[in-house]
Amino acid sequence: MISLKNVVKRFGSQDVLCGVSMSVARGEVCVLLGPSGGGKSTLLRAINGLETFDGGSIEVCGTSLPPQAGSAREAAMLQIRRRVGMVFQQFNLFPHRTVLENVIEAPMHVLRQPREQAIAKARSLLERVGMLGKCDARPTSLSGGQQQRVAIARTLAMEPEAILFDEPTSALDPNTTAEVVSVMQDLAKGGQGMIVVTHGMHFARNVAHTVHILHSGSIIESGPPEQVFENPQHEVTRGFLSDSR
Amino acid sequence: MRCPGENILRGVLSHAKSVRIFALEDGANLLTRLLSLILLLGVLSSTTRCDAQQTALDSLRTKGILVWGADQEGGGPFVFPDDKDPTRLTGFEVEIAELIASHLGVKAQFQQGQWDKLPDLLDRGDIDIVLNGFEWNPGRAERYGTSIPYYIYELQLLARVDDDSIKKWDDLLTTPAGRPRKISLLGGAAAEEYVERFAGDKVELALFDGVTDAMRGTELGTDNIDANVQDLPIWSFYKKDFPLLHAVGPPVGRGFYVALVRKGDTALLQSVNDALLAGFRDGRMRKIFERYGMWNEVQALRALETRGDHGFVGLTTADAATGDGTNSADAAEPSMATSQSTGGLKVIAQRGWFLVRAAGMTILLSVTAMPLAVLIGLVMALCRLYGKWYVATPAACYVEVIRGTPLVLQLYVIYFLVPEMLKSIFPGTHFSISAFWSAVAGLAINYSAYEAEIYRAGLQAIPKGQMEAALSLGMTRGLAIRRILIPQATRIVIPPVTNDFIALFKDTAVCSVITVVELSKEYYIHARNTGAIVELGILTAVLYLAMSYPLSLLAGRLESRLSKEARS
Repeated sequence: MISLKNVVKRFGSQDVLCGVSMSVARGEVCVLLGPSGGGKSTLLRAINGLETFDGGSIEVCGTSLPPQAGSAREAAMLQIRRRVGMVFQQFNLFPHRTVLENVIEAPMHVLRQPREQAIAKARSLLERVGMLGKCDARPTSLSGGQQQRVAIARTLAMEPEAILFDEPTSALDPNTTAEVVSVMQDLAKGGQGMIVVTHGMHFARNVAHTVHILHSGSIIESGPPEQVFENPQHEVTRGFLSDSR
Repeated sequence: MRCPGENILRGVLSHAKSVRIFALEDGANLLTRLLSLILLLGVLSSTTRCDAQQTALDSLRTKGILVWGADQEGGGPFVFPDDKDPTRLTGFEVEIAELIASHLGVKAQFQQGQWDKLPDLLDRGDIDIVLNGFEWNPGRAERYGTSIPYYIYELQLLARVDDDSIKKWDDLLTTPAGRPRKISLLGGAAAEEYVERFAGDKVELALFDGVTDAMRGTELGTDNIDANVQDLPIWSFYKKDFPLLHAVGPPVGRGFYVALVRKGDTALLQSVNDALLAGFRDGRMRKIFERYGMWNEVQALRALETRGDHGFVGLTTADAATGDGTNSADAAEPSMATSQSTGGLKVIAQRGWFLVRAAGMTILLSVTAMPLAVLIGLVMALCRLYGKWYVATPAACYVEVIRGTPLVLQLYVIYFLVPEMLKSIFPGTHFSISAFWSAVAGLAINYSAYEAEIYRAGLQAIPKGQMEAALSLGMTRGLAIRRILIPQATRIVIPPVTNDFIALFKDTAVCSVITVVELSKEYYIHARNTGAIVELGILTAVLYLAMSYPLSLLAGRLESRLSKEARS
């Protein structure tokens, strides 16, 4: 469903991604691991068009994404973003809207759903992430974990075929991290496809179908978690895993 | 009364300065000439209204109204709010306007305008005739239709009673204090030209906007001012208010006050002349001047007055009295001569309502202009931040040009030049922007440049993640800007925009250059006509404060609320 071939990304003279290829199937839970600065977030952001890229190809749900700015890319990005959601490290909830308004914003104004329908959907999603009681709260009055759960509900409201999680728990303390991870586990069990950039080994080990290790802009190792964790092939992977333990 | 050349823009350039030092003028003159040339070109290109000539008189007869322009701020005895009933205008020119109108069989309607802009109002077609102490000179006669003189004025040198060093004109050339004498004058007045010819650079000039200000400055010796040169009728009218001043030497520099009409309105001009001549012959003009203490021997030398049996009146004994004309004016005991300086609370009780009403205009201008300014500013900020280069560059230029030019100039361009330009681009069509909407447009455009910068900063202050989150939800850039960025930026800009709103309140004062009478102009009119500078000044200040202080409070409250929101 998501397919990357030989994707290259440069920031100036620095190569951030040096020919990354990978594919993610429908309903697959894919975790990107690796040392900081390895290009994980850049790769994720390239998939839904938040970053341009300099070589290779990206295809999402049958839509091919042109690498550089232009009207063709604009159109492709709109197509892709309606099918692939994103959850950010800093949550990025809209501070001028209540929790419920955050969730109904895109269904009402992008999908043009009637307000009642959007609200009914939003309430069920907020219930699913355990935030129904905070419908009328402002995002700024919530804890980080609560905000991230609302952000997940906001993304789910667009019924995405896959969700890109960009270090969703890195800004959280251990307690609230657990709340968010349990929501993500729940989603994975329900068959929600996702690509997760994380440092949380626990999640990778227990939930992921596939784990990719990204190092210096290249995928150095891929496989099911039991294989990658129990029998790492690459020197860097071994070092990284022992550091993270 | 005042005058020289056709430097119409001079007033614009010198607006903010009530006192100009003579030496500074040459530099400004060059710029002034350039600007007037541009203006002149614009006007020339559109003065090909051949068929309009014949209809000017006809059309005002059809309307039944003669619209005449003058500036109340100039004060007595010309045109000023009546002392007893300030809702009524009085002054010898009001009566002459009525005399002319009745001769034409129409009603006279007064139009307020800033004195030095009155000829422009004539060009613009807002008024039919200017009647406000405009002195005849060749330059003016070249550009406008000038009537026969309705008054022959002279200039009077005034000095402080206790100053023994100035007893005659030649004393101005002495330097007892080791510095040139400083003489106060009305900026752009005929007196300025006369003094220049008399003393050249042997004296220093202090130019004022108002005649009473010039006299007051002399009386108080403000900034070492030694003497004042004033139109004689003005001195006659105001002498009681300035007991520390006295006339020095005989009246000099005789000249003519004439009415102005558009060049080519010859039928109207002829009717005005006929009206004035008829008024002189049957003594109505003389009666008017006597009422304001202005009749003197010089006027009698016209020798037009006839009795009921058409016999020549000749000089009466009072007129025949030699000496300066002011004495004969006193002898006539005129009913309306000299202003009645009312002080204290009485003035406020009598004139306060006018200021309150004018404050209403200030509020109306501000609340109409500010939302427009914010709207234009927001659009400009969006163009600069999110537009392609061909949108962003013009927007940036707009902001820089508008920020870099003064509001007075912008108002002037909108009110006087834009209609002329439109007329010359689309000949045959009639464009007219009312003074009020010109003022609103000028204020809105001027402030939009500042609001654009405020909004730009506000939009840039929003974390990048907001846009990314919106885009990731499938929103287009436009939708994200509209639904996510603008509402957040608006919260950020509320405090600085409120501050600008307070500034705009005060800047409405500038709109008086295009005939809008708001609080400041109303204050000048009444302060200069009553001398109650302090009393009315305090009331004016209180009114401005009453308008802006609630806004300050609101700004403060919003600011603290928003910062609280940001912290939680």
